Amino acid sequence: MERLIIAVAVLPLISALFIQLFAGRFGRAIARLSVAMTTLSFLLSCLLLALAVSGSETLAIPLGSSAAELLFDPLSTLLATIILGISLIVHLYSVRYMAEEAGYGQFFVLLDMMTAALLFMVIAGDLITLVISWYLVGVILYFLLGQDTRSQTAYRFAFWTLITYRLGDLPLILAAALLFNAYDTWSLTVIFNEVMANPDAHQVLGLPLTDVVAGLIGLAAFARSAQFLLHTWLPYTMDGPTPVSALMHAGIVNAGGFLINRFAPLFVHSSEVLHVIFIVGLITAIFGSLLMLTQNDIKKALGYSTMGQMGFMIMECGIGAFSLAIYHMFAHGVFKGTMFLSAGSVINQARENDGIPKDELYTFAVEKRPNKARYPWLLMAVVTLVVPLVILIFAHLLVSEDYFQKQGAIVLLFFGWVTGAQLIFATYKMRSQNVWRLMGLSILSLLIVVLGYVFISHGFDQFLYPDAAFRAQLYSAANINSLSFDVLVVIVTLVIVAGWGITYFSEQNDHRRAQKSKRLWLNFYALISREFYINDIYTRLSRSLLTVSSRLNVWLRWL
Amino acid sequence: MTDFLNILLIAIFLPLFPMSMLFNAVVENIKPKGLRVILFILWPLIGLLIALNSEFVIPDWLLPLALSTSLLYAIRMLSLREVNQWTGFLATSIWSLLWLPIMQGSSAALLYEFAIGMSVPLVLLVLLAAGLEQRFGAAYTGLYGGLARTIPRYAGVFVTVVVAAIATPLFPTFFFMLDMVVEMISSTPAAALVLLLIWLFWSWAGARLIQGLIVGRASNNKIADMDMSSISFYSIVLIVLMLGGIYLAGAIL
Repeated sequence: MERLIIAVAVLPLISALFIQLFAGRFGRAIARLSVAMTTLSFLLSCLLLALAVSGSETLAIPLGSSAAELLFDPLSTLLATIILGISLIVHLYSVRYMAEEAGYGQFFVLLDMMTAALLFMVIAGDLITLVISWYLVGVILYFLLGQDTRSQTAYRFAFWTLITYRLGDLPLILAAALLFNAYDTWSLTVIFNEVMANPDAHQVLGLPLTDVVAGLIGLAAFARSAQFLLHTWLPYTMDGPTPVSALMHAGIVNAGGFLINRFAPLFVHSSEVLHVIFIVGLITAIFGSLLMLTQNDIKKALGYSTMGQMGFMIMECGIGAFSLAIYHMFAHGVFKGTMFLSAGSVINQARENDGIPKDELYTFAVEKRPNKARYPWLLMAVVTLVVPLVILIFAHLLVSEDYFQKQGAIVLLFFGWVTGAQLIFATYKMRSQNVWRLMGLSILSLLIVVLGYVFISHGFDQFLYPDAAFRAQLYSAANINSLSFDVLVVIVTLVIVAGWGITYFSEQNDHRRAQKSKRLWLNFYALISREFYINDIYTRLSRSLLTVSSRLNVWLRWL
Repeated sequence: MTDFLNILLIAIFLPLFPMSMLFNAVVENIKPKGLRVILFILWPLIGLLIALNSEFVIPDWLLPLALSTSLLYAIRMLSLREVNQWTGFLATSIWSLLWLPIMQGSSAALLYEFAIGMSVPLVLLVLLAAGLEQRFGAAYTGLYGGLARTIPRYAGVFVTVVVAAIATPLFPTFFFMLDMVVEMISSTPAAALVLLLIWLFWSWAGARLIQGLIVGRASNNKIADMDMSSISFYSIVLIVLMLGGIYLAGAIL
């Protein structure tokens, strides 16, 4: 077991070293070595995952006589397999995609180093290895994004990424230092055991250590996963090679969710921090989605889409659904990776033939011409609101009867319900000639998605957190006062229903009322199109700092 | 009074503002690269030698002064474009932090190891800057750029050396910074925060330096790239540095 887990992490490093040394001799064929090593590492990680699934005990494997440890547990094996799976696809894709680019060998060296850094990050059993690998991911990503050394733009945005990631490193380093000072060990297993045994044993500046450290870990996760105010790098880093975009959106940016999961034994004692995480995730999800919808640049829209998804993932952590965040990470990774890697061939095909059937969907979505047919809106409203709810409740009852006792579960159901209702509402708005057929298909897809989501996420829950008591503890840590929760649910429901109502009545009155608020909407649109001026503020701040630096140098005569 | 004079003397070599300006004036006025190399190796060692062999009480104001000096030079590095000057400022920012382990009573051997481990990347930078001056007449960012395309081997080595100098894992400066944060967080949390800020500015300045030199289109002129023996030399030193970093990590963490 020990050798197996070490081999998984070290193979990409060996590959990087070989390519660096022999790229000149073997030319472009050296990429095959990288692919072979990644494949081997992936197969070994599958074996490790199989062992973990079969119930092998969690192990902390010391590296020699040092304080460094590698961790064999469900989280590390699952994520190592996901990372290597995505990395393998990116490797295979890059063999031909990057063939015409300069620095072909160097690209594979960086790709292998990135894979190794990500692997060490997820299997780190001690704080030092975790901090080092966390740090190195940012540095290597900077160089991967700047693969095209002719492009000033690529480096400009790679720099944004580096600085945001470095900002995110700082709280993690602080958290590691605080934990070491409190427990006199770097070992995560030992620290977690002690925290679980006595969570209130230590204080920092009058605050519980668990809260302070959880807050710092949360901050590190926010920077890595592009949460609101630390998101500006993500939509702009599209000048890097497509395989790097795929790896970044499918894997690297998800690291925040991993980090929160890794420190779950701390978060379980930090209710307030979980609430903050929920709010930040929620704001990010809303802003990300809003900005995505208003982009006219498809790549930036994809970037903001990832931001919205990351917000949702962090929000899931905030409601105690830690394993669901991992499933989300996996599902989003596969989905977004596929989108990036297939983008090139889609563009090529579209140049020859757009392939879009001129059907009802086309006339609705592209030509903005809904069909004339109308159906009784009351009936439609009932279908829209009731069907998704029935599907969601039915699916969740299948996996757990006490599911509805958890506030976090209610929040998730709520989101599922709103999304489902929105889907059916959109179907109704299309005013198809055969609306029942279209709605039937929508409901069937919703049923399949919800059932799949519920069963797979339940499986993730059982695998990652086999201790039912701990799972319940995570959910209850995220709970808020029952009355406040109920009031919030009512308010949010009213807001959403009011939104639907306004949309409906606006359409009924041919947008006459909407005209009155046109100026307001235009101002709002201007605000969104400037991305809330966040980038401008950051640019202004960094320029001010550079001006201060220059003035200091002039005053001090450059000495 | 003797204590103060002692500190004043040491503050020249383990630079504290405004004495730090002396070191940077020396860097600016010494042109031969051999002398610069000696300067960058010996300067902090002289400071440590004096500090460890004289008896004086370290006043409370020294910690904020050392941190302020380091922060000041880290901020000033952001707008520098001349590589030698940049290296001098980074040296000042790094060496002023050596006061921290002295205040904590770290062993002499460890202090010397840290000083050497942190100075070697700076020495390599001095040598690389000399290489730039030889090829282009000046070691200046934003002036020619495109080194990654014009002289790719040199650019690769340059980037790695800068990365080593700005406290990236697994180089010694990284473990020094980590150790200092761990030591400071319990006694002086504000100092730990300042250390992290300084660290961030080093990364910022390093990225600006790299971008100013390696990014851009290839030069039309034929410029000789680094030869294999030089690459071997830099690679060996960097590997030894990395191993040294891991050794130091074992010693302190």
